Amino acid sequence: MSTPLLKVENLVKRFPIHGGILSREVASVKAVSGVSFELKRGETLGLVGESGCGKSTLGRCLIRLHDTTSGNIIYNGKDITHIEGEELREMRKKMQIIFQDPFASLNPRMTIGAILEEPLIIHNLFSSEKDRQDRIHELIDLVGLRREHLNRYPHEFSGGQRQRVGIARALAVNPELIVCDEPVSALDVSIQAQVVNLLMELQQKLGLTYIFIAHDLKVVEHVSTKVAVMYLGKIVEMAEAEELYRNPKHPYTKALMSAIPVPDPRRKEERIILTGDVPSPINPPTGCHFHPRCPIAIEDCKKIVPPLENKAANHIAACIRA
Amino acid sequence: MSDILLDVQNLKTRFRTDEGAFNAVDDVSFTVKRGQTLGIVGESGCGKSVTSLSVMRLIQKPGNIESGKVMFKGQDLLGLSDDKMREIRGNEIAMIFQEPMTSLNPVYTIGDQIEEAILLHQKDLTKAQARERAIEMLRKVGIPAPEKRFHEFPHQLSGGMRQRVMIAIAISCNPSLLIADEPTTALDVTIQAQILDLMRKLQADFGAAMILITHDLGVVAEMCQEVAVMYAGRVVEYGTVEDIFYRPKHPYTRGLLDSIPHFETGHKLEQLKTIKGMVPSLYNLPEGCRFAERCPYAQDDCRKIYPQLENFRGIRKVACHHPLTEEVK
Repeated sequence: MSTPLLKVENLVKRFPIHGGILSREVASVKAVSGVSFELKRGETLGLVGESGCGKSTLGRCLIRLHDTTSGNIIYNGKDITHIEGEELREMRKKMQIIFQDPFASLNPRMTIGAILEEPLIIHNLFSSEKDRQDRIHELIDLVGLRREHLNRYPHEFSGGQRQRVGIARALAVNPELIVCDEPVSALDVSIQAQVVNLLMELQQKLGLTYIFIAHDLKVVEHVSTKVAVMYLGKIVEMAEAEELYRNPKHPYTKALMSAIPVPDPRRKEERIILTGDVPSPINPPTGCHFHPRCPIAIEDCKKIVPPLENKAANHIAACIRA
Repeated sequence: MSDILLDVQNLKTRFRTDEGAFNAVDDVSFTVKRGQTLGIVGESGCGKSVTSLSVMRLIQKPGNIESGKVMFKGQDLLGLSDDKMREIRGNEIAMIFQEPMTSLNPVYTIGDQIEEAILLHQKDLTKAQARERAIEMLRKVGIPAPEKRFHEFPHQLSGGMRQRVMIAIAISCNPSLLIADEPTTALDVTIQAQILDLMRKLQADFGAAMILITHDLGVVAEMCQEVAVMYAGRVVEYGTVEDIFYRPKHPYTRGLLDSIPHFETGHKLEQLKTIKGMVPSLYNLPEGCRFAERCPYAQDDCRKIYPQLENFRGIRKVACHHPLTEEVK
């Protein structure tokens, strides 16, 4: 078996909260607390969970946009958790990110051409102006935009087109791994499908590896080879996409799946409706973090932190009741 | 008493801007029956929100309601004086918006805001009675410890709780029509499930009719009896929820249904079906069918002649020269 492209061991990201006149650290948020997984080249890991579960923070830690508090990130056999300077910049060529909001992530004062040229200049990829222009043309073709778009500004484009620009920018440096942070959630359904198809096409064509972060379980199932469900900073269940959706083990995964409205008026299924909101990550519940909302919790759930263990072949879940 | 609570006829709302004028709502008609829910679906910019604001007469400059009728309980709302209309708003027709954080005032407690709504519309109540009613409303919408929450500010509540407060304000005067504009779009799925469940229960309790505006077909399938599909300012298809989901006649409706990824269909790594291209600019609409550019079935006549919304059987209406006949499994 080949070595995984990305291996994450026990990753923790803590954000300190400062307070008082001396700005002492009064508490901290464990946005990601002890996450481990492996991802092979060409695969897609889907990360799902509700707002504040730490999925975006995890994505950003992986490509070193956030420094991690502890744990290791091993990229292609090399520990990149603490690399800095030139070494980190070299690494960034291999790892890129696509953001959720195509309105906020493109500089409104730069033309599309300039936006796409910037990463090429920063990473010193082509020495001549002409080579750079050729590369930009190649990119714009790749994402299905037209060359005359290069002289326009972001506000002249629709959401779907802007997201294509964001994708082209990420592809500019020829990366291997792309973190897609909610890439389609700001788009209309008909446009969503276009962008999802584009991402999958590019993956096949260029052999990309994706971390696909989304709260829409249906989109995640569609694009992912492997899916991890997060709750309050922890992975509570992880399996191959098909296995996870056919055979969910964790009550949170089940509730998430059952909460999605199905576009079929005849289907009247009993729905699991969770009570309450996601608790504060500053002061998470004892034992299993999910127990206050869990429909099948027992006394032990308040005390025991459930380990992530095998529940079926290649299927791990953190629940003592599953 | 007639069955029909709201009857909107040929509503046209026009916006005049520096770049030109366009009809955000163009000849839109629909009815809402008592106690039922009508879903209005469509993508961004199709005019679904402007339609609801027009019904409430909340259109501001540069927009203007040009023509049409909004018959509510037999009277045309568009012909009422501003004072009369203010009495209808809140008392008879209430609205819930998408973003609960921007529709609540951050400097007043939620209790004050509900109380204000109640006092404004039910002038015979004393302050103490209004307060009691506000707490009762909070309890009805499932807010735990309402006496305590009454004194909290919007920022102290979660998104789902804020939306519950909005619902409490909306139903506090017992309206007969509730307009909900993307009420759950900003919420997580588990919270969305809670809110939809709450809305269904309250509707059953209060017997209010509802217009639910959303882009999520799943929500429509679950909540609505009748559906209007809008595209570029017009209603392109209208029918019962079963008609729309199982026997869509307009290619746009079909396209929307097809572009949602489904669970358990085993089409792994297959392409999603898409609707090619994008919505035309309202400033520069084609002469013929507005969907023709993106329609896989478009023929020459589609590009030349605008298809009128024509009656099929019963309430069913479709605006298409070549309606589909195939059923969706």
